[in-house]
Amino acid sequence: MKLLILALKNITRHRLRSLLTMAGVAAGMFLFTAVETMQHSLAKVTQASADDTTLIVYRENRFCPATSRLPEHYLPTIRRIEGVREVIPIQIAVNNCGASLDVITFRGVPAEDLRKYNPDLVVIAGSYENWIKRSDAALVGETFAQRRGLKIGDKFEAVGINVHVAGIIKSKESQDNNVAYVHLPFLQQASNIGLGTVTQFNVKVASSDLLDPIAKAIDETFRSDSQPTVTRPEKAFFAETAKQMIELIGFTRWLGLGAVAAVLGLVANAVLLIVRARVKETAILQTLGFSRLQIASLVSFEGILLGLLGGAIGVISAYLFFHWQSFTLGNEGLTLAITPSPTILLKGLLVALLLGLLASLYPAWRASRQPIVQSLSQ
Amino acid sequence: MFITIRNLTKSFKKGPNLITPLQNLSLEAPRGEFLALMGPSGSGKTTLLNLIAGIDSPTSGDLMIDDHDVARLSRAQLTKWRSRHVGYIFQLYHLVPILSAFENVELPLLLMPLSRSERRARADAALDLVGLSDRAQHRPTELSGGQEQRVAIARAIVHDPELLVADEPTGDLDGESARSILALLTSLSQDHGKTIVMVTHDPKAAAVANRVLHLEKGQLVNPPATPASAVS
Repeated sequence: MKLLILALKNITRHRLRSLLTMAGVAAGMFLFTAVETMQHSLAKVTQASADDTTLIVYRENRFCPATSRLPEHYLPTIRRIEGVREVIPIQIAVNNCGASLDVITFRGVPAEDLRKYNPDLVVIAGSYENWIKRSDAALVGETFAQRRGLKIGDKFEAVGINVHVAGIIKSKESQDNNVAYVHLPFLQQASNIGLGTVTQFNVKVASSDLLDPIAKAIDETFRSDSQPTVTRPEKAFFAETAKQMIELIGFTRWLGLGAVAAVLGLVANAVLLIVRARVKETAILQTLGFSRLQIASLVSFEGILLGLLGGAIGVISAYLFFHWQSFTLGNEGLTLAITPSPTILLKGLLVALLLGLLASLYPAWRASRQPIVQSLSQ
Repeated sequence: MFITIRNLTKSFKKGPNLITPLQNLSLEAPRGEFLALMGPSGSGKTTLLNLIAGIDSPTSGDLMIDDHDVARLSRAQLTKWRSRHVGYIFQLYHLVPILSAFENVELPLLLMPLSRSERRARADAALDLVGLSDRAQHRPTELSGGQEQRVAIARAIVHDPELLVADEPTGDLDGESARSILALLTSLSQDHGKTIVMVTHDPKAAAVANRVLHLEKGQLVNPPATPASAVS
């Protein structure tokens, strides 16, 4: 503790140099946290878990909502398959099928089925009843509303569709927070798809071990129909449909590693400069009786503090940035909300601490090994 | 004897040459003695001082300080021994510039199992002894050279070592400040029983010591003398 206080005082000795080092660390850790946040957000929507019980029925060989068209009358047939708990037909309209940072997605659903299908939806502003009553009403996801600055009573136009904001919803499923739910017939007509045609069916099954058999049963049922289907678990559907986006995000891992390497080099360089500038002072401390371990600890603490303080600035800035900016990556009609996570925040701080320690190991070793007499006479 | 040195030799390689700043030196000093080491540059006095202070190790010979076989201690043991038994006073004070006078004096106490209040009491007492209680919160840049050296002396005595080593403690001071520092060292020897070994080029500084030793080419060149005869 006493050494830590001494290290903190040492950092303030050359304020500008310390601030510049911390600014560099902050920039590197901001980038690292941004990459980790993207990876984490992607993992959340693509990694299957035992709790997953949703299937997506899509038109075979189609990869974009604009081209996937299935007859709405498949609904009762799917519902009759054993193990199916709930089915909802969804018409999806998006402003952009390619990769984009500002995707607007409308989901048209039967008004009477939304709550039954998705009981986790919470209306945090406006009301569900108002949405039911008005045919052009929209329940807008919290992130979507935040991104577009929408509030209750607003009208907005996107994808050539004009809607009235009747409510703002929140869900633990990040996809729901990034879309606007509208009435199915309204969207079918407004998007010129026509009544009776939907993009997909979302099917909830009784348990996760039924996902595969039911998917097979659905596809088998419509195999010889004019609109054959391909049915996959929701997360596998995301992983397959948004392959390009996933590859792009996968590549960012290298950026994260680059940021980590840059931080490591920066702190190591700063601590090495500190050690070189204080050869005589270190010898004085050794003369007073500071052991090699104490000298090494003192130097390491400086590295850790530089890493941790700079890292904290970068990591917290990135967290707040993603919290307020509400970025949504979209591809093939699917959206990926880049949402900050406390886990990533803690991971970033831990990485900054470890980088500070790692970067100061060699300088600390050097400082602790320097010969006293020669150092005093420098 | 408090200090017993027998046939002490220090040599090291510098490029292809073997340098021997100290060769077969022997001396003894009782507890509480104020010893001055004089001699031309390169005579080996600072090397001897560093060996006595335990910041350097001899190549051969014996060096006993108050029952501690200093010549045989490992680096880690020497470090621990220094922190308990030695106070070092440098010519250029070498205070840590970001710390206040009080914090500089407190430094050696950070190595001891003392509470904050115990550290404070000891550092205050040391500063009081050197007459700088009113400068405790001043940084080195806010002190005169003489005051800085007083803080350095307070740092050297704060952990109550039996042995004080001083490398030209008045070498960078004006006459008035030098006299005051020498008076302080004399008091530490006479009133507090500290054994002091001081390297100096200044005959006036050496004159305050109980005994003056002259070194030349790594050896004592005259038998122990009284201060007056040595200086003359």
